Amino acid sequence: MTTANKKLISLREAAALVPDGANMSFSGFAETNNPLSFVREMIRTGKTHLEISGMGDAQSVELLCGAGAVDLVRVSNYMAKNGRCPNFCRCAQQGTIRTEDYSHFGITNRFFAAAMGIPFMPVKVMIGSDLCEIQNFDKDRKVMEFDDPFSGERCGIVPRLAPDFAVIHVARADAEGNCQLYGITSSIEIIARAAKHVIVTAEEIVDTEEIRRTNQFTILPSFFVDYVVHCPFGAYPGGVFTYYDYDLEHLDLITRSGKSPDTMEAYFDEWVYGTKDEAAFFDKVGIRRLMDLRADPYSGVSLRNRRQFL
Amino acid sequence: MSWTKDELMIAAAAEVIENRDIALVGIGLPVMAAMFAKHTTAPDLKLIYESGAIDAQPKDLPQGPGDFPLLRTSTMTTSLFDALGYVQRGKVDIAFLGAAEIDQYGNLNATVIGDYMHPDCRLPGSGGANDMGSGARKIVVISRHLRRKFPARVSYITTPGFLCGPGERERHGLGGEGPVRVVTDLGIFGFDDETKRMRILSIHPGVSKQEIIRNTQFEILGMDGEIPVTAEKSEELHRLLQSLDPQHIYIKN
Repeated sequence: MTTANKKLISLREAAALVPDGANMSFSGFAETNNPLSFVREMIRTGKTHLEISGMGDAQSVELLCGAGAVDLVRVSNYMAKNGRCPNFCRCAQQGTIRTEDYSHFGITNRFFAAAMGIPFMPVKVMIGSDLCEIQNFDKDRKVMEFDDPFSGERCGIVPRLAPDFAVIHVARADAEGNCQLYGITSSIEIIARAAKHVIVTAEEIVDTEEIRRTNQFTILPSFFVDYVVHCPFGAYPGGVFTYYDYDLEHLDLITRSGKSPDTMEAYFDEWVYGTKDEAAFFDKVGIRRLMDLRADPYSGVSLRNRRQFL
Repeated sequence: MSWTKDELMIAAAAEVIENRDIALVGIGLPVMAAMFAKHTTAPDLKLIYESGAIDAQPKDLPQGPGDFPLLRTSTMTTSLFDALGYVQRGKVDIAFLGAAEIDQYGNLNATVIGDYMHPDCRLPGSGGANDMGSGARKIVVISRHLRRKFPARVSYITTPGFLCGPGERERHGLGGEGPVRVVTDLGIFGFDDETKRMRILSIHPGVSKQEIIRNTQFEILGMDGEIPVTAEKSEELHRLLQSLDPQHIYIKN
């Protein structure tokens, strides 16, 4: 564990910590809280052969699959707004990524076992279905049926899963890595507790005194966190509750571009390889767009974006 | 004005909801079914979303299970691990699912079409669907009724229905009762107590038996007898339903 004053590092330094071939897990659920500044920086720096163990981190995985950075994916569900994730699906159909399918609760229990420091968790999901019957690269360490030694009740067990790196995007963190998030947490506190290394990207960096004053929002204590990166708008074009709405237009652009490798490459050329860092990326997005998405402090969403002027 | 197919499906799905049920809803037509039930027969219905939004009462229709209007109108916001843990605990009475394929035993496929290792078509995957199908008390399936979506056996069982027949859910230790209703744009279906195979309950107005047979790759029980026609509800309820989605976000057909 690094000392507190060394935890706060730049995005470039943080992305450089991840080696090719790392087993990674990202935060996020639906259109929110994916660490996309971090993901773009990974793509700019050409990461390859990644292994993904995720739960709901569709936006991160869709971009990384499009960039050819991924070899293996433990998937529970990857959806873009109203449909399939085209890059992920194409890679799976062409066999350039290998997949292992879980349910949301099934894979989260694998993380939970690691988070609790125990070898497995009993579950009542996945059993009976092809999520249990069909096993690919996790064969014999995915899920198996099991009779409870105490009562004899039939159930399943899933083994612990500790990713090499969890990268999670939160609302606020202090320099030591105490993390705060408002609203649903997906299950990022569990994934962070399971991972061998944790990198936090945060909308805001605040004093520890501020964390103490509002500790009802803290989801993860500092001693699970290795590095902290200040990333305002770090989930864009996804959203962060009470900070900014997701940008449907830009999300659609990514999904449309993903329909073919050529258009996806053109997207990366324009928006990722073509911007030398996140500052240049957000210059290109433009201040007007960001202001339109900025959340109204009372409702937590952008009323302007949702055309609900008060 | 007569009811559209989407509207008929919403009303039929809403009928399965009992007052005081705890319902787990995704997006799309199930959101409308739950809201319609809450405004009519089930005012005490509580909606929970797999994202961790508990008892959300959004003024505006949510555009996804983690959409921000849900978060600011919930009694609790927690983790997906908690929300799906409530399902495994047996606290969820009813869950609504869609699927790319459904078979005669109510098994659902949302993973791949074709062979898993070399899929013809990769789909989004289970998400919480398997978790709901395993542990929620009742499952209601809402689907367009197309021949390719109704095979005798799904290419991949993402969510267990009755697997390959009676006693199979129990043998694997699954908690919930399994699918109780399948609502399509052609009719309403249930499952035979003895064989666990799909059985017709009613046929929508203007739909022929032949249309259902043509669009299904397996034999549906009860097709040779007299089949009731799905009853349309009152014009007042029709107007209420339409008022819940004035911008036609979910009601399209």
